[in-house]
Amino acid sequence: MEKSSEIEFTPAIVGFLCNWCTYAAADLAGSSKLELPPSFTVIRVMCSSRIDHNLLLSTFFKGADGILVAGCHPGDCHYGEGNYYARRRFALLKKVMETLDLAPDRLQLSWVSAAEGKRYAEVVNEFTKKITELGPNPIKNSTRF
Amino acid sequence: MKEFEMREAGQDRKMRAKVGVYVCECGPNIGGKIDLDRILSDLSGLDDYQDVELVVKKYGFLCSVPGKEFLEEEIKSNGFTHLVIGACSPRDHDSTFMSVCSKTDLNPYLYRIINIREHCSWVIDDKEKATEKAESYLRGGIARVLRQSELFEKPLDINPDVLVIGGGIAGMEAALSLSGEDRRVFLVEKTDRLGGVSLDLSGLLPGQGFVISKKIESIMEDRNIRLFLNTRIKAVIGFLGNFEIELVSEENAETTDIMAGAIVVATGCSLSEPGVSDHFSYEASDEVYTSLSVEKMFSGDEGVKLRSGEQPSSAALIHCVGREEKNYCSGICCSYMMKLAGLFKNQSSDIQITEFYRDICLPQKDDQERYKAAEAAGVTFIRIKDISIKGTDVSFEMMNGEKSKQSFDMVVLAPALKPSADTEELADLLTVPLDEFGFFQEVHKMTNPVGTSTDGVFIVGTAHGPKGVSDSMQFARASAGQILTRLIPGEQLIPEVKVTEILEAYCTGCGNCLEVCVYGAIYSDDSRGISVVNEAVCRGCGNCFGSCPSGALRTKHFTNTQLYQEVDEALR
Amino acid sequence: MPQTGNILVIGAGIAGMKASLMLAGASSKVYLVEKLPIIGGKVIKNEESFPNLECSTCMVAPIQQDVLQNPNIETLTYSTVEKIEGSAGDFSVVIRKKARYVSLTDCIGCGMCYEPCPVSLKNEWEENLINRKAIYVPCSGSLPNVPVIDSEHCLRLSCGEDCSLCAESCAFEAINLEDVDEVLEIDVDAVILATGSSTFDLSSIPDLGYGTLPGVYAPLEFERLFASNGPTFGSITLRDSDKVPGSIAVIHCVGRREQKYCSAVCCMYSFKFARFLKHKIPSVNVFNIYSDICVPGKNYQSFYKSVEGVDTEMLYTSSIADVSVSESGSGLKVAYPDAAGAMKELSVDMVILAAAIVPDDDVIELAKITGVNLDSRGFIATVHDGSGSMETSRKGVFVAGTAEGPKDIQNSVVQAESAAGQVMGIVTSEVSVS
Ligand SMILES: Cc1cc2nc3c(=O)[nH]c(=O)nc-3n(C[C@H](O)[C@H](O)[C@H](O)COP(=O)(O)OP(=O)(O)OC[C@H]3O[C@@H](n4cnc5c(N)ncnc54)[C@H](O)[C@@H]3O)c2cc1C
Ligand SMILES: Cc1cc2nc3c(=O)[nH]c(=O)nc-3n(C[C@H](O)[C@H](O)[C@H](O)COP(=O)(O)OP(=O)(O)OC[C@H]3O[C@@H](n4cnc5c(N)ncnc54)[C@H](O)[C@@H]3O)c2cc1C
Ligand code: SF4
Ligand code: SF4
Ligand code: SF4
Ligand code: SF4
Ligand code: FES
Repeated sequence: MEKSSEIEFTPAIVGFLCNWCTYAAADLAGSSKLELPPSFTVIRVMCSSRIDHNLLLSTFFKGADGILVAGCHPGDCHYGEGNYYARRRFALLKKVMETLDLAPDRLQLSWVSAAEGKRYAEVVNEFTKKITELGPNPIKNSTRF
Repeated sequence: MKEFEMREAGQDRKMRAKVGVYVCECGPNIGGKIDLDRILSDLSGLDDYQDVELVVKKYGFLCSVPGKEFLEEEIKSNGFTHLVIGACSPRDHDSTFMSVCSKTDLNPYLYRIINIREHCSWVIDDKEKATEKAESYLRGGIARVLRQSELFEKPLDINPDVLVIGGGIAGMEAALSLSGEDRRVFLVEKTDRLGGVSLDLSGLLPGQGFVISKKIESIMEDRNIRLFLNTRIKAVIGFLGNFEIELVSEENAETTDIMAGAIVVATGCSLSEPGVSDHFSYEASDEVYTSLSVEKMFSGDEGVKLRSGEQPSSAALIHCVGREEKNYCSGICCSYMMKLAGLFKNQSSDIQITEFYRDICLPQKDDQERYKAAEAAGVTFIRIKDISIKGTDVSFEMMNGEKSKQSFDMVVLAPALKPSADTEELADLLTVPLDEFGFFQEVHKMTNPVGTSTDGVFIVGTAHGPKGVSDSMQFARASAGQILTRLIPGEQLIPEVKVTEILEAYCTGCGNCLEVCVYGAIYSDDSRGISVVNEAVCRGCGNCFGSCPSGALRTKHFTNTQLYQEVDEALR
Repeated sequence: MPQTGNILVIGAGIAGMKASLMLAGASSKVYLVEKLPIIGGKVIKNEESFPNLECSTCMVAPIQQDVLQNPNIETLTYSTVEKIEGSAGDFSVVIRKKARYVSLTDCIGCGMCYEPCPVSLKNEWEENLINRKAIYVPCSGSLPNVPVIDSEHCLRLSCGEDCSLCAESCAFEAINLEDVDEVLEIDVDAVILATGSSTFDLSSIPDLGYGTLPGVYAPLEFERLFASNGPTFGSITLRDSDKVPGSIAVIHCVGRREQKYCSAVCCMYSFKFARFLKHKIPSVNVFNIYSDICVPGKNYQSFYKSVEGVDTEMLYTSSIADVSVSESGSGLKVAYPDAAGAMKELSVDMVILAAAIVPDDDVIELAKITGVNLDSRGFIATVHDGSGSMETSRKGVFVAGTAEGPKDIQNSVVQAESAAGQVMGIVTSEVSVS
């Protein structure tokens, strides 16, 4: 199992944000000038349901220490029910992660609405803190797969 | 070093990519927080790509009028094959720069906006770190834009004619509002008469003083409306702008094929059968009637009579029958029960009327007048906690806990409205989902209540859910509004461009993707044993993408290859 | 006069925006006139909207963006219509664009200009729960995200002082303190009135304590208090303090008797408030004091049932008119007659009054300018020809949304779509004539 590292560690975190809710929240956090960690990179997708297992696992293999997928609150998906599918796929992937010795906590699915600029900043900062505590991704550049 | 090559369509000759990278200062908003000169020199010196020439510049204010002109000129004079803009949120200015591209030869899908304001300069205080971050985002943008493909709008011809299913008040109003604007309408009604439930009603709400027979006449005389009585829908295929429908006659089983650009579903509702519930219990008796049968009696010549032939001298009107079990309030019963009370009083002023209600729900602004009129006419209103009816004996408990029992000559029940009998079958034919109550489900409860997940199929009147005549007509007119503004004769429709496609070679035809698409955009092509996306219907959400076990799907403009470019840069 | 294909829409709430987008999509040129400096109407004041408590910003912001970015829509914010002459197919309209003092094209909404402004006053859009400057945007996330200078309170514009701190702080030279009103004359074929509504004047019932007891709230005040982009970033605290209320009474049907109609949305938003409260403050006790529950249509009762007894205790009163609120120690005391008519008392920290929807304050003026009739309650009247038509007493002028009467978002949208369809009739029929 993985251990958190002793030395100062800045995690690399990727956030896949749905265009309609969370990306808008990130904009609001921006225009409210809320402080966000430089180690967090935003990638915009149209809907949280677009995120598939391949994309997530590859992102871990490529070295992401944490991945945040964030979209509309349940029931609010711009495309009806995309985020329910996202949630279901997530539950499955978390199981896969365990078998890879990858702490399932490194992957987080959050619902952040377009009005929640402040909460967006909180979610990102808390997630970054959590990943910092978890330490580096143990399967980075892993050749096992 | 990554290799990059672009091939000109149809030719084998390698073409050099020339990428314009323009960073907006946004005044001090980006310029003051990020060392743009460092970014300029770093990116200009970038040798990540073979055969890619980068032109990197900054500009004060790209979205201003001079900024856009500058950009247009730069694209044209440099002959860029790709463009990256480092600026603000795509929600602010993606469309601005896409329209700049449209004025040049550069396909707008070979451009990308990178948000270095909301994601960097505004949220990272340390200038050094903000600069590094912005540079990383821009590199990701360059890598990604090089993997993007040209996309083109594919305008579709449309058929402006409309099929209306159901000839009740809602269907008739939809047909008339469309034909009034010179649209051809096919009006299909399964029974042998127009009018639906409203034809049996004995007067409507205050202010609805119109005669339903006049409406029916207008339909009959309307040359734009082709009426099919005793007819049902047998099969439907297609999408907004192009539906093919097969009708079948109930009389002789003959079928007719028609084509229409949109379908309005107005198949109405029916009354639920009063049953036993936690709050009410009934035992059928000769003198217990449903509201609709009383409406029918009032609209006839003889008024309301008991089965014995005598006029009743007292009547109990019971509200909210079945509301608890159905878990919805029909929203019209309080109002029409007050109307009925008035009609009873008109028939004989000394009849004793008692209304047993749980809540008074009068959501229409004119409804309250009926209430006042009923009270003024001496109708008794009793708010009950519980009620039980045996024959025409009504036992009830009031809010203050007092229990009591009264006998009446007649009991009238107001049962909840429920979906009409054919709803399920029709929903299947139209691939429109039903809601938890069995009514047709709107695509969005608030912002698109007449639309369905099958774009081009609209639901109006009580087929959408319980409502009164005015709302039914307004829903009908709303569907007409959508059709009139979206399907314009002689004009084309432009569907979403960033759609998903299925790569035939990988698809096993398992049908997983078909299951998850809420818009029904995917169908299976049995002859080829694969699934196919109908690009006219797909909205590009990407939900199907994650469902495919064989990786056969590609969501254009959001392919994994494209997203990996962003990931790689983020993790460098 | 040749037909223009132009349409005027007054009011940029959900109804006005929807109608504008539909008509613009059908290639009409739409002038959308909004009296406030921002578009969106009342819905953007709600964090979440019933029935499914969908995030309102997520639902409305894309619509606002579409409106602002649509090349066929000319959005005229901070503007009013002064005159409408002519007839259907050929109206000439005079619009006053009030001086905004900030350029809509040059300003990027960075917000650097607010800080230096020395003036501070109540922000009406935030229901006076927070202060703003003389140069301000009504709320964070405003669209268009461009401030306006309140000329009545700006030191320079109102008292001629030599202040120009905001202009000096703007790196874009977007502020023009010399800006003047502009008068625009346009020709249109048809007009849609989508000017919305207001809420019942709660101070007209002194027994309920609104305006005198700080713990008593109007519904829109509560919406803003709950909103995560609102004055408290969504933490529910009592006025002018950090105290979190432990118990709250929501009083239904306030103004129903006075207005003589039921507003059809107050029960639902009252339940929504109960859900919000319980969600944010799990230990809170909520009481909904009601005499009738009106949850019409298929979407509403199930929400009520999910709230009843879970998020709130339902207290029946035989007469809302006899409910009163008074001060009691550091909290409030609500007195109400129960089912048997006996007076009961309830101690709470906060009271929310579910105010009726009433005609907009400006509607009489608007009716005069546009030449349309009002109904007996002061809403804009439709022709009532039994066809669900949204046409008003003036041909070519239509109404949609709560300007026509109280209703929820769903029905406001339905009316907007109906009105847009009817307007298409005028535009196309005129074209075929010419
Ligand atoms: C007792 C009672 C009293 C009422 N009183 C009032 C009142 O006072 N004021 C008021 O405003 N409202 C009142 N209403 C409500 C009013 O009746 C409805 O709002 C109105 O009838 C709805 O019209 P509709 O066109 O949606 O449906 P319907 O009137 O039900 O019409 C639907 C039509 O579709 C046809 N159809 C069904 N299935 C198919 C199919 N598969 N293919 C083809 N055709 C099909 C049916 O035969 C019917 O003709 C009352 C309702 C009831 C039950
Ligand atoms: C407290 C509260 C909570 C609510 N919650 C919900 C809910 O959760 N779900 C729901 O479905 N409904 C809810 N509603 C109802 C909902 O707010 C309305 O249905 C909706 O706002 C109506 O939209 P509208 O476009 O008609 O009017 P509005 O939203 O009021 O918009 C009208 C616009 O016109 C502008 N205007 C007014 N006069 C003029 C003029 N003379 N010239 C130019 N512009 C003008 C206004 O500034 C405004 O921008 C709630 C209502 C209240 C009071
Ligand atoms: S899920 Fe994949 S393999 Fe299965 S039908 Fe769809 S595209 Fe083909
Ligand atoms: S991208 Fe969305 S709309 Fe398009 S086919 Fe896939 S699931 Fe359906
Ligand atoms: S006026 Fe100037 S300083 Fe104020 S928000 Fe606009 S751009 Fe920024
Ligand atoms: S000029 Fe007016 S708005 Fe600007 S800073 Fe001074 S007082 Fe404020
Ligand atoms: S659109 Fe936001 S999660 Fe689907």
